Amino acid sequence: MQAALEEFQTAYTSSHPAVAVAHFLSPRAPPEDAARLHGFQRLSNEVMVTGDVQYAIETRMRRQMSPDEMRGWTEVISCYWRAVDRIVKAENAQHQGRFSERQALDVHDAWNDLTNNFVKHISNGALPFWTIFTLCLTANHLRLFAIQADEQMAKAKPVAFSAGFSDDIGGTPKNEKLGAAVRVFNKVFSLCLGDRSPDMNQSRKWGVYCVANLLFRTYFKLKTISLSKNLVRSIDAQSDLPQFQLYPLSHRVTYLYYVGLISFVQEDYSRAEVFLTQAWNLCYVHSTKNKELIMTYLIPCRLITHSTVPTSQLLNQFPDLNRLFGDLFRFIRKGDLSGFDRALAEGEPEFVKKRIFLTLERSRDIVLRNLFRNVFLAAGYEDLTEGQTEKDRIRKTRIPLAHFAAALRMSTAGAGGSQVIDDDEVECLLANTIYKNHMKGYISREHQMVVLGKKGAFPGTGV
Amino acid sequence: MSGAAQGGTATTKAVVADKDATKNGEADKKPTAPLEEDDEFEDFPVEDWEEEETQIPGGTSHLWEESWDDDDTNEDFAVQLREELKKLGHTK
Repeated sequence: MQAALEEFQTAYTSSHPAVAVAHFLSPRAPPEDAARLHGFQRLSNEVMVTGDVQYAIETRMRRQMSPDEMRGWTEVISCYWRAVDRIVKAENAQHQGRFSERQALDVHDAWNDLTNNFVKHISNGALPFWTIFTLCLTANHLRLFAIQADEQMAKAKPVAFSAGFSDDIGGTPKNEKLGAAVRVFNKVFSLCLGDRSPDMNQSRKWGVYCVANLLFRTYFKLKTISLSKNLVRSIDAQSDLPQFQLYPLSHRVTYLYYVGLISFVQEDYSRAEVFLTQAWNLCYVHSTKNKELIMTYLIPCRLITHSTVPTSQLLNQFPDLNRLFGDLFRFIRKGDLSGFDRALAEGEPEFVKKRIFLTLERSRDIVLRNLFRNVFLAAGYEDLTEGQTEKDRIRKTRIPLAHFAAALRMSTAGAGGSQVIDDDEVECLLANTIYKNHMKGYISREHQMVVLGKKGAFPGTGV
Repeated sequence: MSGAAQGGTATTKAVVADKDATKNGEADKKPTAPLEEDDEFEDFPVEDWEEEETQIPGGTSHLWEESWDDDDTNEDFAVQLREELKKLGHTK
């Protein structure tokens, strides 16, 4: 145990103790030392562990720690040893092909103990303030172990069903452990938010966004997204937090992404745009996956707020985004309604899963606008009058309804084919487009003409 | 869904419970078809980084299409549309 504690001591006294100690308390062996956990487990046993750790801590750390702190670490490290013991046993079971609910629960319970003990000793002030970041990482592992335990329980449950008990509605609800983890995370969150330490450099308030992000992830997994709003609200209401700009970028970008995503899901697209744009701008340039996720929401968002589409340059940079959106945006640009409908239908399962289907569906207006715009462009220019030059030629602004009707019929032909658009519907679609300010003009019914504005007939599109 | 509902009684109940939860929308213990792990925002490999390592130096000008005019005016759809309208133009 002395040797293991030497590792702890080095971590504790290093220049970044929070991360170093989190490495020491990691549930996974580092690649360069694959047998680390096994080795650590062999150092002690269930009965002796607390005494072993206590002795090692006291001989090594006496000069650096108060008695309270030594007691705190003794408990935390003993809990860690127990968790490692369960992890090693679970790994052995896995090698023998009998990993199941039991092992997953054991690992989860032991890690849950570790996390709770950590919380206890931080909140009673025994451990230094920076351990809040170590705790964040420990809590993140709790999240993963809870998910694993829930999965194993869900797998085991159908067996329990067939055993009888037709009156039993379901025993343990799904995601029981992850739901319980939320309560632990909330405790950690209030520990951060409510820290009254006067010295801001030593404040747990620096952990606020880190824990908030952990909770966001969990809420999304549990599909209780609405609870995230309370979190954002309590952060906004806390007036004495350090300035947002002073937090590490990893905390900020993740937070901005989730707040943007929450606004997006609530269809508050202008707010979503603000947050997602900031997340994009600050995102770590090498984190491709995260950049892709930000764009997955920012692209549909911009479509609604600005009627803009991404450049092919942007899409080409991200093969997954291109696969997801490429066709759709090609049809949007062209004003091809049936192509758009087809692409939307083909992508539907994935769009729904990513929660962007309804947003994308709303962009059908833009397809329509582009189609009408093409009719306008195709009508060409008025003949040149005396003194006019090529440069200030005027486009034809009176266009027969029949042209729009023909364009609509052409655009909706194809796949469906059976869709017949009657003249009333043509007028209706035109009127809607005008109403939505996508097009400036009016319908002259007695002349069966659409009269478009001479300047800016299609706002924001250059004509 | 209906196929599963014809199973044993217990199974039926579970399925019904699923349905109810979906309707309630925000029921706390809502059963999930979990988002695949790869859909989750990843932990950044580093905690903090400099402005040079953000998107800011690249600027935002290349992100959004400025023009709606197709670069390729000879594209099938546009050509087809123009042909179609030309036909109409002559009949007027």
